[in-house]
Amino acid sequence: MTSLATIRLVARREVVQRARSRAFKISTAIVVLVAVALIVVPSFVSGGRPTSTVGVVGGASSELASSLVAVGKAQDRTVEVSAYPDEAAAERALRAGAVDVVLVPDRAQLVWKAERDPVVAALVTEAVQAIERGRTIAEIGLTPEQAAALLRPPGLSSRSLEPVGKEEEGRIALATIVVILLFASISVFGGFLVSGVIEEKANRVVEVLLSRVRPDELLAGKVLGMGVVGLAQILVVAVAVLGALVAVGTADLPQTTPGMVGWVLLWFVVGYGFYSVVFATSGSLASRQEDAQSVSVPVTMLSLVAYFVSLGTISDPSGTLARVCSFLPPTAPFVMVARQARGGVSVWEVAVSVAVMAASTYGLVKLAGRIYEGAILRIGPRVRLREAWRSARR
Amino acid sequence: MLEVEGLTKRFGEVLALDGCSFVVPEGRIVGFLGPNGAGKTTTMRCVFGLARPDGGSLRWRGREIGEAERRRFGYMPEERGLYPRMRVREQIVYFAELSGLSSSAAGAAADRWLGRLGLADRASSRVEELSHGNQQRVQLAAAIAHGPELVVLDEPFSGLDPLGVEALAGLLAELAGDGVAVLFSSHQLDLVEDVCEDVVIVDHGRVVLSGEVERLRSASSRRILRVTVDGTPWVPRIPGVTEVPREEGRPRILVDASVDLGGLLALAGEAGRVTQFSFEPPSLSDLFIEAVTGGDRG
Repeated sequence: MTSLATIRLVARREVVQRARSRAFKISTAIVVLVAVALIVVPSFVSGGRPTSTVGVVGGASSELASSLVAVGKAQDRTVEVSAYPDEAAAERALRAGAVDVVLVPDRAQLVWKAERDPVVAALVTEAVQAIERGRTIAEIGLTPEQAAALLRPPGLSSRSLEPVGKEEEGRIALATIVVILLFASISVFGGFLVSGVIEEKANRVVEVLLSRVRPDELLAGKVLGMGVVGLAQILVVAVAVLGALVAVGTADLPQTTPGMVGWVLLWFVVGYGFYSVVFATSGSLASRQEDAQSVSVPVTMLSLVAYFVSLGTISDPSGTLARVCSFLPPTAPFVMVARQARGGVSVWEVAVSVAVMAASTYGLVKLAGRIYEGAILRIGPRVRLREAWRSARR
Repeated sequence: MLEVEGLTKRFGEVLALDGCSFVVPEGRIVGFLGPNGAGKTTTMRCVFGLARPDGGSLRWRGREIGEAERRRFGYMPEERGLYPRMRVREQIVYFAELSGLSSSAAGAAADRWLGRLGLADRASSRVEELSHGNQQRVQLAAAIAHGPELVVLDEPFSGLDPLGVEALAGLLAELAGDGVAVLFSSHQLDLVEDVCEDVVIVDHGRVVLSGEVERLRSASSRRILRVTVDGTPWVPRIPGVTEVPREEGRPRILVDASVDLGGLLALAGEAGRVTQFSFEPPSLSDLFIEAVTGGDRG
């Protein structure tokens, strides 16, 4: 029997047993729910438009109200108008936060609770001006055509060199979500690996296994099997996310969103490949589940540091730190995926980063594989790294 | 034939194996006996590559034992090892497949052994739901389902009741009848008295006695007698005769070659009515004691 056939058998057991476990089903359901909620809920809450409420003293004429709404619409803003009989009532509403600003038409004055909001001020000013202009046009006696020509907007289109405002905020949020999802997945499946390896030692199954298969075959099979389960979970999430995107439309989401689904899958494979070997090897040092935490401290710390570095680089994706870290093994999967969510990463950069990760994972497999071999049959207290390294020497 | 030759293994200060050599032929049941810590488990672990010997060689059918050979072996370690949450049949199939059986052959073998061991109705139970005894049966099935050429069992009889011992002994005899080489270890020599055809007795990492049980018995210079006078065990206080305290508390006596048995019977007759005066074949324990003390223990 070939090594590959053995690895496939070990991996298959891992997949079947894990996929059948309740923990896996529940965790998948939770991740899907959260991911879909992150997409669907924002589009329900505000419809994507900010809302301003204007209080008008002395009752708003329908002319003023419709002018406010029209100007608001032109500026991509929902305007609600409330009428108050006197200034005192309007100010009470302002203090209570029911309105953003109070317009006193008699005195041509805007009253604010505290700070003046220039956007809302310009909006109300424009609405009042529009009514004034209409009156003036009527007084001069222009024909409707003349009036329309006079008031036609210049029709300027606009473009931005960098994503600004809403788009940029969206991308920052997207990068954060993607990094969290990736980190959580790698940590969860890494944790499963640690306890899976310890379980085999604790139950002494490992002796029965290793009388038939080589330690490297067992390690490869376990890592691979767990990876397949992890990838399957992310695929399920990806499909749910894509479904949600189609359902609510991508208009309000940052432009990088659809592509990120694919990138997350890639970076899970790369990142999991790297970290899983360390997780599995950490597990081989312990013989009891009680030691799972303490043996995985180093790898947990490593992934946590990478995670926090990547969160730190989200706000400055083209800075030196972000660029360097997106090519270095422990941080690359998280930082690169964050940079991609922010946009503006070329394909060759991704290719180089993946190549560096693949090469270092290969080296790590050699290193960690030897420690695993040296430690896996040592039942008892925690195995020291040096002992494991030495006893694997053939 | 399994050939173990000059195996040595040191754990720090402790010399676990000190030139251990013996063979296990096909179709024979070899009892690997000796007190705890004699090096039995270490030897077995070396056969399966679970421990690396410092010196010596291990051969199966004349070839150095490697991965390919080990796939045709079956091993049941003393510390039983199964996946507690995996189902019984799945588990046996999995181990058989790891040993190279196709999935259909593994399935058929699992069903056959589950039936043979009386576990057919527990096939889809999780291992953790089974009783201790049934878990042991699953463990055994996992060790032999793939049809190994050599079966190695570490302390398979410990914790079994007499009925269990008999059932397992029958099964091992069946395997040997099919040409399988069977090696099992035990520290309870009395328990496996009737099970093995051949024995290898180890002490302090070295083989002190090995061969066919019957031949070893007849070659023994020790004369063991059971004498009762008026229905109670009789032990004469004369030189050359010592008490061997054992076997359900009924004393036996070890009689030196220098003592004339006729005189001994006459002496017993003087003590009262002789109700029993019989030779006993030396037990495995007797042989062991004789071997470790060089036969000079009085």
